[in-house]
Amino acid sequence: MRTLAEINDKIQARKAVVWTVEEVKARVQESSVARVAKEVDVITTGTFEPMESSGAIINLGQTDPPIKIRQCWLDGVSAYSGFGAVDLYLGATQVAEYIGAGDVPDAEEFRDRGGGHVIADLIAGKQVHLRALGHITDCYSRASFETTITCDTINQFYLFNPRNLYQNFIVGVNGGDRPLFTYLGPLQPRLGNAVYSNPGALSPLMNDPDLETIGIGTRIFLGGGVGYIAWEGTQHFPLQKRLPNRTPIGPAATLALVGDAKQMDARWVRGCYFKSYGPSLMLGVGIPLPVLNEAIVARCAVTDQDLVAPVVDFSIPRRVRPTFGLVSYAQLKTGRVRIDGKAVRVAPLASLFLSKQVAIELKQWIEAGQFTLTEPVASIPMDRAFLAQDRWGSQITID
Amino acid sequence: MRHDALNFQSNGTRSRDYVVKKRATLTFPKRAVHMPVTYRLAKDFNVAANIIRAQVAPNQIGTLVVELSGDIDQLDAAIDWLRSQDIGISTASREIVIDEETCVHCGLCTGVCPTEALNLDPQTFRLNFTRSRCVVCEQCIPTCPVQAISINL
Ligand code: SF4
Ligand code: SF4
Repeated sequence: MRTLAEINDKIQARKAVVWTVEEVKARVQESSVARVAKEVDVITTGTFEPMESSGAIINLGQTDPPIKIRQCWLDGVSAYSGFGAVDLYLGATQVAEYIGAGDVPDAEEFRDRGGGHVIADLIAGKQVHLRALGHITDCYSRASFETTITCDTINQFYLFNPRNLYQNFIVGVNGGDRPLFTYLGPLQPRLGNAVYSNPGALSPLMNDPDLETIGIGTRIFLGGGVGYIAWEGTQHFPLQKRLPNRTPIGPAATLALVGDAKQMDARWVRGCYFKSYGPSLMLGVGIPLPVLNEAIVARCAVTDQDLVAPVVDFSIPRRVRPTFGLVSYAQLKTGRVRIDGKAVRVAPLASLFLSKQVAIELKQWIEAGQFTLTEPVASIPMDRAFLAQDRWGSQITID
Repeated sequence: MRHDALNFQSNGTRSRDYVVKKRATLTFPKRAVHMPVTYRLAKDFNVAANIIRAQVAPNQIGTLVVELSGDIDQLDAAIDWLRSQDIGISTASREIVIDEETCVHCGLCTGVCPTEALNLDPQTFRLNFTRSRCVVCEQCIPTCPVQAISINL
């Protein structure tokens, strides 16, 4: 139909036809897959959701005399320093241990900040306090160091996120009799509420369920800057059960993403905190899908009626939690689902509003000729077994 | 900054036939937690206390958000009595404020709001706040992952 090189030529000539995945779904309903495939060159998808398996690599630039950092805190949040002397890795869910120098608070108000907030602050251009303890060796004579850093005073600052962009997830409920505070937010007892976290038909990997157009090296929108798919994500489980439309019935593929945080925009990278669970990072991620053939459009035509997620009871603290079966994203997005015969209010955790905005923003970049598409350098393995893979889904039958 | 798209309506006290309703936040010192406050209000002042939210545990400062209703004079006497018992009472009309700059429209708060004052627009999925439905139960405040919801006095 068209090649990637032809699409990129059109992008550079600012002649590419780019639609968000929402526009594609609407147009397919009105006309047909074949017609849409003829018209559109690129389809943009996006999501904005908490992605806790995220973190930043930071290189500080040596001090004089030099230091081999063994322990380090950024605004009181410990960063991992067990590699090269001034290389750090700041994880999104690491909890703040103190606020200013000398504070040793343990109240919840201090713990509601974490690595995600520090990453977001650096991206927003804010100053961050750094305290480091070194190991004195013949090469590195300094024992400690304290300073203030910003995005502009550090060498490298890039996100390297080991697990982002879950292809589908779960719906959390609490069938017990006490409130639970989870990574999906508060779950009220006796099925008081339900929370889902995947944006369903907007979700990038729901629209390319077998990861046919993307792979290692694919250029993406990450936090408002340019990023790349680096690898399969941790807990990547492509062998999850799938519906005939190839979309998984629970958590499946995941991706590791990398991108220059210095280019990112605070609008798309937000620190967040879940009460009595901990801090995390909300991130906007967008993936462009090249329309190389009709099948790609057909996959993107999938609607919330055709996508499902398992309802999982968090009151049983086991690896294999009991489930209340599957519900469709169309039901979830009405704000109310029927679980165990009971009408339950259900809220998203992904921002559906900002997910749509990510797809729109990426569309604008491509239309403006600023962002071209890439051919993956290698595919993401789709046969990866998951050790302890019964965790999320295999206890569910789809018939 | 306030949320432009939100619908703000005042939430004051209502009166009918001298029966007045007042929303109040009671703060109990540790030792008063065991006192049967609602019973005393009903028996001594003929004031009904409809509990909207409670956070009471042994040996901790307790908070009770109540809607008090009764005769206007007796209600004032009841409030004086509560003060004399070292129970903090605030009748200022407290309002939920949503910071539009901070809100990411994740919708998490909509699942815990008992009155559906918070909901998502079915088309745009932006957060909608209908102030007239809000009972200031404060459930939404700790739920918000970006601390966009606060209460103003
Ligand atoms: S205070 Fe209570 S009623 Fe008001 S918006 Fe928040 S959860 Fe809803
Ligand atoms: S939980 Fe907070 S960020 Fe999410 S929609 Fe409600 S107010 Fe906005």
